[in-house]
Amino acid sequence: MQQVLEGSHAVAEAVRLARAQVISAYPITPQTHIVERLSEYCADGTLDARYLRVESEHSALAALIGAASSGVRTFTATSSQGLALMHELLHWASGARLPIVMAEVNRAMAPGWNIWADQTDSLAQRDTGWIQLYCEDGQEVLDTTIQAYRLAEWVNLPVMVILDAFFLSHTYEPVDVPDQEAADRFLPPYQPRFMLDLENPCAFSQLAPPNIYMEMRYNIQTAMDESLAYFDQMETEFEGIFGRRHGAVEAIQCEDAEVILITSGTVTSTSRQVVADLRHKGEKVGLLKIKLFRPFPVSRIRELTGTASKLAVIDRNFSFGASGIFAQEIRAALCNLPAHPPVYGYIVGLGGRDVTTEVIENIYYLTKNSTAPQQESVWMGLHEVNHAIGHPR
Amino acid sequence: MATQKTQTNTAPLLIPCSYLTTESNKTGSWRFLRPQYEEKTAPCSAACPAGVDIPRVEMLTAQGLFKEAWETILAENPFPGICGRVCYHPCEQYCNRKEFDEPVAIHTLERFLADTASRYELKPTLEKLPAKRQKLAIIGSGPSGLAAAYFLARLGYQADIFEALTEPGGVLRWGIPVYRLPVDILEKEIVQIQELGVRIRCGKFVSQQFIEELKDTYDGIFLGCGHAQSLPLKIPGDDLHGVEDGLQFLGKIRRGQVPQLHGTAAVIGGGNTAIDTARSAARLGVKVLLIYRRRRQDMPAFDEEVEMAQEEGVEIWELQTPVKIEPKDGDLLVTLQRMRTIEEDSQGRARIQPESNKRQEIRVQHLFKAIGASAAERWYDPPKKGRGVLRLSNCVLVPQSQSAALVYGGDLVANIKSVVHAVASGKQAAVAFDTLFKDGVASIESTLQAEFVGEGPAISMEIHMGGPRSQRNHRTVHYEDLNSDYFRFSPRITEPRLLREERLQSFGEINLKIGASLAIREAERCFNCGICNQCDNCRLFCPDIAVMRDDNPKGRHINYDYCKGCGLCVVECPRNAMTLGEERLCNKS
Repeated sequence: MQQVLEGSHAVAEAVRLARAQVISAYPITPQTHIVERLSEYCADGTLDARYLRVESEHSALAALIGAASSGVRTFTATSSQGLALMHELLHWASGARLPIVMAEVNRAMAPGWNIWADQTDSLAQRDTGWIQLYCEDGQEVLDTTIQAYRLAEWVNLPVMVILDAFFLSHTYEPVDVPDQEAADRFLPPYQPRFMLDLENPCAFSQLAPPNIYMEMRYNIQTAMDESLAYFDQMETEFEGIFGRRHGAVEAIQCEDAEVILITSGTVTSTSRQVVADLRHKGEKVGLLKIKLFRPFPVSRIRELTGTASKLAVIDRNFSFGASGIFAQEIRAALCNLPAHPPVYGYIVGLGGRDVTTEVIENIYYLTKNSTAPQQESVWMGLHEVNHAIGHPR
Repeated sequence: MATQKTQTNTAPLLIPCSYLTTESNKTGSWRFLRPQYEEKTAPCSAACPAGVDIPRVEMLTAQGLFKEAWETILAENPFPGICGRVCYHPCEQYCNRKEFDEPVAIHTLERFLADTASRYELKPTLEKLPAKRQKLAIIGSGPSGLAAAYFLARLGYQADIFEALTEPGGVLRWGIPVYRLPVDILEKEIVQIQELGVRIRCGKFVSQQFIEELKDTYDGIFLGCGHAQSLPLKIPGDDLHGVEDGLQFLGKIRRGQVPQLHGTAAVIGGGNTAIDTARSAARLGVKVLLIYRRRRQDMPAFDEEVEMAQEEGVEIWELQTPVKIEPKDGDLLVTLQRMRTIEEDSQGRARIQPESNKRQEIRVQHLFKAIGASAAERWYDPPKKGRGVLRLSNCVLVPQSQSAALVYGGDLVANIKSVVHAVASGKQAAVAFDTLFKDGVASIESTLQAEFVGEGPAISMEIHMGGPRSQRNHRTVHYEDLNSDYFRFSPRITEPRLLREERLQSFGEINLKIGASLAIREAERCFNCGICNQCDNCRLFCPDIAVMRDDNPKGRHINYDYCKGCGLCVVECPRNAMTLGEERLCNKS
């Protein structure tokens, strides 16, 4: 059924349809609407789940680690500082191979205190062993949240469903909300492959000495590889039931493009418009949307970018002392090919600054008119600032 | 180590999984600090002259175990009904809760427990030791004599009380007005003492000669005859008609011989008898002037009593002393000398002298003397010194080589003349006799010291009898020792009272009863300083699940095989009932 939904509520509807059994929550802007709506569903009986109010994000994830170990479907949501506080447990959840699903609303890290969109918070957690899925709009976030359970439960890895602050979390759009029967067909009840069992007591996650630790880490990597393959299979099933498919990556007019813009999140929607406008003017531009960041779909990216002469990666995030994080990943994906297009990196929209069609068009022309990348990252639209202001006296 | 794999889903899954118990890892071997349960002493209990185990009383009250709470008071004090009403509750001044919001209303709860026991006609289960061969004679059935007999009886001795007046109770019966202490309360608690086997012989005045006779049949004699003789004013007109003794006036009222008063009454003095006299006179319809030679704040009467007297219309004239009383047309003309403060002594009490030429005359219809009292007989007073005379905090013991030892107690030796000090005196005498008979006179002081509650001088009968309280550390718990994060602000109960107007119309009891739910709420305010109230914080916070419940749900113990000595339990104990000490290497588990 089509509904006009806030992005946050699209997540909540998906969690309801997934029949999550334990939800833990600690509020943080701009994530709070998700768990607020779920708390209402738990309170009025719409969703039959244990709803745990905890005292921190660290506890929120710790509680789910306990719950998931007992073989139930779990959910939490967080953002920015909250995600950072979970850091230790992010590693634990993946190391313990628990299929926890978390919505993460991209928000800038403090200080300065900022509640607006910025991907650095989730990208800083890229090495924690979580599958990361960056969403573009309300429909995708709903579909992806339901899919996340299938993916997580198949490979026994936790999944982060990621959406931009406000541009997605607080924006109302028409969203097709599936009925429960269809959702159940796609996502049957969770069948845990291991769980705490009073009849057969055992301990999980205890000491793993050098003779086995490395194998366990390699096993997580093979599970990541498996998830990459499984993703397409799962989406095909999803498409069979719901008639929609989003793709681990999506290529828009890349076949004959000379410059391919590479984006993630809501910047993609704006870029779609820019690509259409530029094509209209006869420019040979394409767009590659990356949804699946971990595992990173290296071979798909290689295939889809091979014909272009230049790649322009648009990053709403930054790794200090290096470059935009998607740009790094793209460079790493291509560098061992005998020949590959040069990779231009652009930094945009940090801390929620608007990324307009003009900014993206500007990026296209900067790339097209350049003979070779002059620097790792070009910071778009920086204002002149007096650096003396704000110095400690 | 084993791994868990499934057949249905082929996705890679390798996790650490063990079917061995983690109990094989005895983390206790890492410990160099050792937490342990160590109950300590609450400051209120150390401040109580009777050493009542107040934190335990309040803990049991909060749990609704009213009989057990009442018995816990009775372990140290035979008079919860009396002290719950008339005690000046020094305990509350030392209550740690005072530093947090307001002290716990300990006296209100004490009275509640006694009222509840009385309402349900409960019979206490009191520890009583096997019968001993020695017998004790108690002279005087006031609070010290009754208390001495009570504790001696519980220690297994035959105690016989000799009372000069027609009924037992001493100052409790004849001195304290019924609006503070109804007679039935006194009688119930006396009966409770008699039920332990104490015999009370009334109407038997004990002469010095009779004391000598008692020495033949008894192994010890306790003299608790009190201060029943009012001091004279020693001014002209002291013996005029209309000039009366305050103590006698109070006694008459309690005997039902209620005097007719009219006009204005002057009460001379600033002690509790003066206040009782003034308030009783106010109830008989006269205007009352309380004339005191020092300042209001120097009055030895308990503050609360003075405040209530003022509420009831008693006027306090401070820094005035009568110098002459003359008859005038059937009235009394009293000449008052104005006094002035020259300095304060080390306790802050005013030193005074007459202010020259500042005199005034007042005309009153009645004058009551209440400037203090002394022993009715000279020989009641303990010897100042002498061979073997042992001066204890609340008693004076005179051992006799050939016959019964004499112990002087109660008001005869007390600095602060209060019921609870009389109880302390009776208890100290009982312990002194018991120690004298068992271990000899030389052991008395060290025995008393070992039985101190906190720093003393209050002693505990439970400790003397070797009860669980003897395991407690004497160290007093201060507010800084508590973890106040676990306490919530909560207002102190307001003791319900008769309205001022109602009070003046009768001798009805002023303070009213409170119900169980209010009592529980007030008892829950108690921090239970130094004792375990089974809050379970230690167990909940232990990261090693090394704090275990005993089979008895009220007990906890530490499994030192796994306790790493992190000390969380000790820090999270809100009431300092645990201690963290260094592990002795040889002692390691």
